[in-house]
Amino acid sequence: MSEDIYVKLRDAVVSYDVDAVVKYSNEVIAKGLDPLEAIEKGLAVGARIVGDKFDKLEIYLAELIMAADAIKAGLDVLLPAIPKGETPRRGVVVIGTAQGDIHEIGKNIVAALLRAYGFDVYDLGVDVPPLRFIEKAEEVKADIIAISALMTSTIIGQRDVIEYLRALGKRDKYIVMVGGGPVTREWAEEIGADGWAETASEAVQVALTLKGRR
Amino acid sequence: MVSILDVVERATTGKICSEKDFDLRIFTLKLKDVIRKYGVSYDPDIPVPSDPGLADSVFKAAFEFFCDVGAYCTDTQRIIMFDEGEVKERLRVAPSKVMLGEGVDRKALTSRKPEDPIPPWCFLGAAGVAVSSDDVFLKLVEGYGRIPYINSLTTPALTRVGGMRIRPGSPLEVLGSMRTVVLAREALRRAGRPGLPIMNSIATASTAVSLISALHPDFGLRKSDGVMIGAIAELKTNFDLLNRACVANTLGMVLGVDCGPLLGGYCGGAEGTAIVTAAYHIMTSLVYNALWYVMFPIHIKYSSSSSPELIWARSVSAQAISRNTHLPSLYISYTASGPCTDTCLYEIAAQISSVVASGASIEAAGIARGKYEDRMTPMEPKFAAEVAYATAGMRIRDVNDIVKKIIPKYIDKIPNPPIGLRFQECYDVDMIKPSSKYLEIYNMVKKEVEDLGIRFK
Repeated sequence: MSEDIYVKLRDAVVSYDVDAVVKYSNEVIAKGLDPLEAIEKGLAVGARIVGDKFDKLEIYLAELIMAADAIKAGLDVLLPAIPKGETPRRGVVVIGTAQGDIHEIGKNIVAALLRAYGFDVYDLGVDVPPLRFIEKAEEVKADIIAISALMTSTIIGQRDVIEYLRALGKRDKYIVMVGGGPVTREWAEEIGADGWAETASEAVQVALTLKGRR
Repeated sequence: MVSILDVVERATTGKICSEKDFDLRIFTLKLKDVIRKYGVSYDPDIPVPSDPGLADSVFKAAFEFFCDVGAYCTDTQRIIMFDEGEVKERLRVAPSKVMLGEGVDRKALTSRKPEDPIPPWCFLGAAGVAVSSDDVFLKLVEGYGRIPYINSLTTPALTRVGGMRIRPGSPLEVLGSMRTVVLAREALRRAGRPGLPIMNSIATASTAVSLISALHPDFGLRKSDGVMIGAIAELKTNFDLLNRACVANTLGMVLGVDCGPLLGGYCGGAEGTAIVTAAYHIMTSLVYNALWYVMFPIHIKYSSSSSPELIWARSVSAQAISRNTHLPSLYISYTASGPCTDTCLYEIAAQISSVVASGASIEAAGIARGKYEDRMTPMEPKFAAEVAYATAGMRIRDVNDIVKKIIPKYIDKIPNPPIGLRFQECYDVDMIKPSSKYLEIYNMVKKEVEDLGIRFK
């Protein structure tokens, strides 16, 4: 019985159906089923399927974002029903594009995938000043600050965030991840970032690994 | 006719819409509609299609798509719309050629047709990819200036001024942009081509203030150079880009655009990418009053444009535009592999031959995904131009057969490409001559491509 609903939840995520996800999530609560199990066996399984499909380009960005929205809608129903202390959030991420850079698509993909994998994501948008990343991270008690940059002239904004964190004595408080077209492993090492990824799906794996170490 | 004032007026009074709604509820849904309505379908067995009906369907789809969707202004969160009559009028009156350059290097960049024997315009250089120093910049550009086929220069971008990393919109970027023009002009003088137009002015300028600062004639930029404005994916603009267009239009400069629709992003697959690439020509012609159009549809995962679905999208959109308009259109080739690798040259051969036969001109090239400093040399654009000249006048069907044989030579390397060597590692920088190893690779690939049917002139 419970397995049936979890399959329906999974399928609703895979078909980007927000209304169905909310309906089955409410059904989980109404029937007294374990919301945590519903997340793990329903939403999370759907998220993995969607992530794999996007990685193979069997689906595209619009579908990925719609799936992430569906998962978020399901989590909004299920999470409040979980007893305090057992919340399965994988972590809190503050993400944005570096100051002076208005490119958003790569950042949007990473944000959507992180959401699909259960991270709580705060997207600051594009052209984000360094201190804004830090203020938001402090406000939402973030685990990870993720900074995207698509231009050779804007990757310096990634270094700024790390330098500002150091200057404020908060560097060790956050995992800092960087990515984007001209960002290389060498650059990530040079500026002292904790993680770097070439693709969005790699970024999720790096986030999971780095968060797991904390 | 639509003026820049009309565009600004619509950007400030058009329909209000959140960016997410524009992306997901307007752009994506309408794109799916027109793909279905016009029966546009990607066939992986035919990377360079020669079906005029397909090209015309892509054009009709792009026309309808743009008329229904418009362009999105991110600063005002409003949609800039144009009616069908305005779009048709613009396409009718837009110039089919522009004059660029000075003295013996003053030439006409013209539109082309599929299978056109007229040689393509060769816009050669670094495509704005970063270099580590002024010295590398000067030597590279001098090397580009020595390429016999070059019609105009696409410079690298400086990343440092006075040892400091350039920041967008900062005084360092203003200074770096001015320096870019000064260095490029000097390097072209050294190459003996002082009149060559610099068409990607100004690669270092990521903001309007830097671009406008470096337009001052004291730095060496002329009205006969091009001014290029980059579009924001997908079908978006903002005040900073419109500011650049206002200045370029008012000064009477030869304004061009570069647009990079993302395969795998909001465009979806090959079909949507082809339609959006064609739609960008229309959008930028109206929004910026652009006179020439550089397209670089690119892969969302690989950041290159040599995968088969992109070869298809580039070919089909180029045919759609060259058959149905007289807009001068160019395509940039982004390779996954880097200099001094055979796969880099194969990627160039496949991309260049397919767009030239499809009726476009070329900008070459973004090497090693445009990702690494100094990882480009004059060899790649030289080879690109040789392929371009050899392909002009060839039948699309024959090019398709050749490209099908070239793709297997590099396709497996795209996900983890060899990044090759830096300019300083595979060139004698003082002499600006390729290493014997690179020459050997070049000769080997050229011979193989020639054996497949591309007859070098």
